[in-house]
Amino acid sequence: MPSLIRRALAAGIAACLCSVVAPAQAPPPQRRTDNAPPRPSGTTPRTADGHPDLTGVWNGIGDNLNGVPNQMANNGISVDSPTSAHDIFSGAKITTFPRNTNRPLNNEEDERAAALLRRSGANRPIYKPEYWQMVRQLDANANDEDPTNNCMPAGIPRGGIPSYIGQEPNHVMFIYPGQGGLIATQTMYRMIPLDGHKHTPLTDLDGTYTGESIGHWEGDTLVVDSWGFNSSTWFDQIGGYFHSEDMHVIERFHRDGNTLTWTATVEDPQVLLEPWTTTPRVAVLNANPNATLPESDPCSERDLGHIVTKEHH
Amino acid sequence: MSVSRSTTFLCCAMAIAGFATRAAAQAKSAPSPVVPSTTASGTADRAKILRGAADALGMVRWSDIGGGNTRLPGIDVINTMEFKATGTSYTAGQPVPAEYDVELAYNPPGMRVQTVRSGAHTIQTVREDYAWDESELGAGLVPGKGTATPQVSAAKDRILQLWTLPYGVVKAAIAAGDKTIVSTADGATVLTFPLSGPLSGVTVKATLDANNFITRVETKSGDPALNTESEYSDYADHGEIATDIKSPAHIVRKQAGRPVMDIRVKTWDANNPYVVFPVPSNIKKAAAPAGAAAPHQENQ
Repeated sequence: MPSLIRRALAAGIAACLCSVVAPAQAPPPQRRTDNAPPRPSGTTPRTADGHPDLTGVWNGIGDNLNGVPNQMANNGISVDSPTSAHDIFSGAKITTFPRNTNRPLNNEEDERAAALLRRSGANRPIYKPEYWQMVRQLDANANDEDPTNNCMPAGIPRGGIPSYIGQEPNHVMFIYPGQGGLIATQTMYRMIPLDGHKHTPLTDLDGTYTGESIGHWEGDTLVVDSWGFNSSTWFDQIGGYFHSEDMHVIERFHRDGNTLTWTATVEDPQVLLEPWTTTPRVAVLNANPNATLPESDPCSERDLGHIVTKEHH
Repeated sequence: MSVSRSTTFLCCAMAIAGFATRAAAQAKSAPSPVVPSTTASGTADRAKILRGAADALGMVRWSDIGGGNTRLPGIDVINTMEFKATGTSYTAGQPVPAEYDVELAYNPPGMRVQTVRSGAHTIQTVREDYAWDESELGAGLVPGKGTATPQVSAAKDRILQLWTLPYGVVKAAIAAGDKTIVSTADGATVLTFPLSGPLSGVTVKATLDANNFITRVETKSGDPALNTESEYSDYADHGEIATDIKSPAHIVRKQAGRPVMDIRVKTWDANNPYVVFPVPSNIKKAAAPAGAAAPHQENQ
């Protein structure tokens, strides 16, 4: 019996060692050290009428809320490698530094860094001078002022790339699931005609969060032209970038293989000195042909009442 | 440009009181001998010193919130800032109480200094190679709203102030690459490097304290208006929104050996606030830029 016990113990120890050693010998998981947009792969499917087929589940609303690395890219800071970064808008070189600690940042350190990183890009809408201070104050007081707080819709262009696009010959359908937590937003959907519709005169429209949108194709690019907004949204989660009810947004969607590139140009002569174009964002098609959008959590704002500082990212 | 004009502008940017005596004493003392660093690796030493200076200011940051499997390096997060200060400016050697509101950016380089002295409000702005005065905030951008007056000859003087702030010193020293020399003087670390672009010919000497904060910046040039001395002290996070970016609360500045300002910072917003410097069309017409005002990047 003792030998059996020893053998059993030895076998057990060996098994334990194997289970311990084997993972240690496995290659460490590959970590991305850049935030470069995903590169396209595969071919671009086309519909019967010859246009690129944008149908599918994309990593939309989104795409601007999914983590600091992506948020930095959306705001124009491209980290190309551990030793190279640049500002997409200005072309300026941004100095990189190796991390000098492996200690995880605590929440406060992480949030403060995120706030700085997301605001460091050069691509900013140019408001008329009388609004400069207002924009600064809205951003500084975003915990109180951000119009999407308390579960209001993000609107356009803040919605970015929709999470789902359904394409028919005469219309496209965009779905933007809601979000929970501090960035709580309401689910949005847009049904956009492609049949040559003309815009309703702006004076005949009651402003809405997503406005009145009409689409058309310019080559392989879907162009969505929207106006008729209310003034209750911002251009982005950061910045305090408000707009008037006269805002006019032109979005461009271009599919290349399994990627979808989106930009939006905002015109609002009431408050902007010149049109402003977002930094291009790139989403990847969900490779699962059976992918669906899960139901969004009910939007219930529970964080704002607990915020005691002006910090926010 | 004339010294008086640049002095007038410099008066619109910085510092006050207790440091005046010390600054004067330092001005009278003989220059400290600069001893080249004797460490084994100049490149490694320089990188370590610059990293230390950047870390002291809180310039190097990263965040993994929602990053999943992405692990980015630290990057220089300093772009835009705004600080408000009160203090003394000197006109013809005479101190005058003044209030300041300074907006600045490094990408693209720009600075706007609003000053109120003796009830007079001035706004002096520079973006890269363009310099102008604004009769009101953003003058000249909207027809009928204020006048933007070109100040072509003030561009170097104004943009120099951006690059002699602590953040500008670190950025420019990194950009100068191998031309940045690390040495010691009186036990303190000293960085010496040339500026480039339109500020070519200007040499910067920056002194660091034991905590790697930049405490003194001198610039030398053939143009007396570009010979400046700045002192920075009382570093802390002075923002209403905490960022962990450290900024000086006390700034003293001299030009051509004469005191021009001495200010105490009230707030310093380092959270990359909304600060923009669109160039009015008449300013663009008045002066075609000779080149980028940012120091050229080398070896970084």
